[in-house]
Amino acid sequence: MPEPKGRPGSAGQRPTGGDKAVATQKKQYFRRKKVCRFCVERIDDINYKDVRLLSSFIAERGKIVPRRISGVCAPHQRRLGDAIKKARNIALLPFAASI
Amino acid sequence: MRIYEELFIVKPDAPEEEIDQFIEQMKSVVTSAGGSVDKTEKWGKRRLAYKVDRFREGFYVLFQFNAAPETVKEFERRLRVSDLVIKFLTVRIDHTLKRLDKRKKEREQRAHRKAASAPAAPAQPSVSQQMLDEHAAPGEPAE
Repeated sequence: MPEPKGRPGSAGQRPTGGDKAVATQKKQYFRRKKVCRFCVERIDDINYKDVRLLSSFIAERGKIVPRRISGVCAPHQRRLGDAIKKARNIALLPFAASI
Repeated sequence: MRIYEELFIVKPDAPEEEIDQFIEQMKSVVTSAGGSVDKTEKWGKRRLAYKVDRFREGFYVLFQFNAAPETVKEFERRLRVSDLVIKFLTVRIDHTLKRLDKRKKEREQRAHRKAASAPAAPAQPSVSQQMLDEHAAPGEPAE
């Protein structure tokens, strides 16, 4: 491992976590770079029985939150989707929630 | 032999003794076929996310067992036939357990290497790290 630069653990060297200024002509705003929660918190096991974890990735209506919004990386989103679908099957999570 | 996890929901109005009796019965199904039950967990009554057979809540029971595929077939058949059970889910978990084990080992190894390299040989493996630190240190007051 010659260059540990790009490792997520070395966040100290990248002070703002890759904040990106998106400047449009009318208004200027910052868009924080989204990071995968499972990678950051080192959650290896996305288990269908862990309702509390899974419910933070479903929307109000019971839909799975797309990863462009939640920022979850592709491999973890795949496992997350599987887990949510299993949980739905055994009535831990709703297929369609009423508001 | 494979490791399975079976989560099933028992009717909420069933008496506790009957559930215990049913669990024992299911245990014997596995053991008599040459498998072994690793653990059983009674989660107790929980609210269901949606109505199942007009029930709004259910009694969750979790089984973890080591058995051959044919045993699972028989196990599921029993659950389906039983009047107590309203829903069940079988998951094969030996692959998952293996994967998790591997990940855990990798983590430990990495941590071990880090711990070993930091105090003993600070010059060799972490040169780039040190250089980065040195670069960062004088840069801060200037900013």
